[in-house]
Amino acid sequence: MRVFITMIYRQTKRFFRARSRVMGMIINPLIWLVFFGLGWSKVFDNPMARTIFGGVDYLTFLAPGIFAMTIFNQSFVSGVSVIWDKQFGFLKEVLVAPASRKETILGRLTGDSLLTTIQGFIILLLTFLLAENLKISGIIPALLIGFLLAIAFSGFGTSLALKMESMEGFQMIMMVLMLPLTFLSGAIYPIEAMPSWMKALAYINPLTYAVDGARYYLVGANVTKFSITIDWAVLSLIAVVLVSLAMVEFEKATID
Amino acid sequence: MYAIEVENLVKKYGDFEAVKGISFKVNRGEIFGFLGPNGAGKTTTVHVLTTLLRLTSGKATVAGHDVVKEPMEVRKRIGIVFQDPSLDRELTAYENMYIHGRIYGLTGNKLEEKIERLLKFVELWEFRDKPVKTFSGGMQRRLEIARSLLHEPEILFLDEPTIGLDPQTRAHIWDYIKAMKEEHNMTIFLTTHYMDEAEQLADRIAIIDHGKIIAEGTANELKKLVGNDVVYLKLEAPEEVKCLKAEFIKGCKILADGKVQLEVENAAEALPKLFTLVQHLGVKILEVTYHRPTLNDVFLHLTGREIREESGENPFKIVRMRVRR
Repeated sequence: MRVFITMIYRQTKRFFRARSRVMGMIINPLIWLVFFGLGWSKVFDNPMARTIFGGVDYLTFLAPGIFAMTIFNQSFVSGVSVIWDKQFGFLKEVLVAPASRKETILGRLTGDSLLTTIQGFIILLLTFLLAENLKISGIIPALLIGFLLAIAFSGFGTSLALKMESMEGFQMIMMVLMLPLTFLSGAIYPIEAMPSWMKALAYINPLTYAVDGARYYLVGANVTKFSITIDWAVLSLIAVVLVSLAMVEFEKATID
Repeated sequence: MYAIEVENLVKKYGDFEAVKGISFKVNRGEIFGFLGPNGAGKTTTVHVLTTLLRLTSGKATVAGHDVVKEPMEVRKRIGIVFQDPSLDRELTAYENMYIHGRIYGLTGNKLEEKIERLLKFVELWEFRDKPVKTFSGGMQRRLEIARSLLHEPEILFLDEPTIGLDPQTRAHIWDYIKAMKEEHNMTIFLTTHYMDEAEQLADRIAIIDHGKIIAEGTANELKKLVGNDVVYLKLEAPEEVKCLKAEFIKGCKILADGKVQLEVENAAEALPKLFTLVQHLGVKILEVTYHRPTLNDVFLHLTGREIREESGENPFKIVRMRVRR
């Protein structure tokens, strides 16, 4: 428990030390919400479009998507930031310590995920200013969904970073994975509207279930694709698998 | 019981054998110097002994525990200053210390007192709230030393502790290392490619080259491998000079330029005797030079190569003195 808390402390300290980064993390989703969301919401301001988006206006449809997207992006980046620890040597300090490595990495992932969820919360509050029909009662369960998403992708990013040799590889993976996963999650347009091959990809995309779950709590059951039980089950399973993977990778880690 | 016991340690990276079956023992409370050129296998050995790399074959025991079977027990008892920085650059000096202490099980007042004492020891207390990324190389190294002492390790590993530092900072770090040994009777395993560093600090030295230990002993024992000290005398009337004879002179040669070359066991003790001897002969000494074998000579003698010096200092310590009479 001691090491677990210490790692949360470390991640938190690091996070708030980099103020410009904190700003950048909030600005990016805001750009999506305002310039993308507000723009399209005017285009979709008609009854026919409302049917496509489950009977709500476009901004309301988009808001949970932006929330999930923010958490997804940030958690992935924070997971992969293990590569910086590798680069700047702090990883050695951790690996040589007489502490359980599982506990160490779990502390790190939890710390990062809490911070990421807080960022998601800030974005959520901002979306409430723009989108009209979001439920305030949905905030807390949506944040829980967000935390699960965060820890899953932090774990995934960590495993990748431990395997990776160079920063170039990191840039590549960001490009190849992040945007497609976002588009294939139903965050921006409904999965129903996708061609069947895209639908298939959307179904195996973990982000889909986070978007769907967040939408359930923030907008309502009528706009979701899956039942909320499925969302929770899939997300939990993926989180357990990806976090375990990170723990195994970290346990094996040596320095070369 | 030895602090470190290594038997036939082999470490391979694929086909490349970085460490080719080395064996040595380190006594408790001594500074053991691991001297060798870059790429000799020093850091690999340190990483194996500190449980960060798995050995390919052989056996290594650190603080009484096998590094392969009981890595956790080893980790509890060692401290390490890596060759490359391993600090969290975003955090302050104090936070780096604090996190290290917590990970090693220290808490509360005890931890705070220790951090203060150690940061004062390495003279960084006034910089405690500055982020490490603003520190110079020397300050970072000092912080790493302080951090490695926080949990009071039985054995401290210092991997090239002064590499890339200016001479003043190096001397400073040497003082800390000496103080650590004296005040805490700590066992220190020190790797270096600086001969002066090994000579200044280490009680015993193992010379490693191409993954093999090629000699081991105290600095004086190693120098004896090369031979005696050599004294050169330039006399006023060289044509009249014959070889000098005395019980302490192990060899004598007249050089082409008329200088007399004498082999003695210890130049410092032999010089006054030589002066008296020459004075009795009624000859004036114009110049005296002497050369003691250095660890570099030892390395040269054993391998036919020099350890590459990066500090820019002359490895040969030649003392010149003029005697006016």
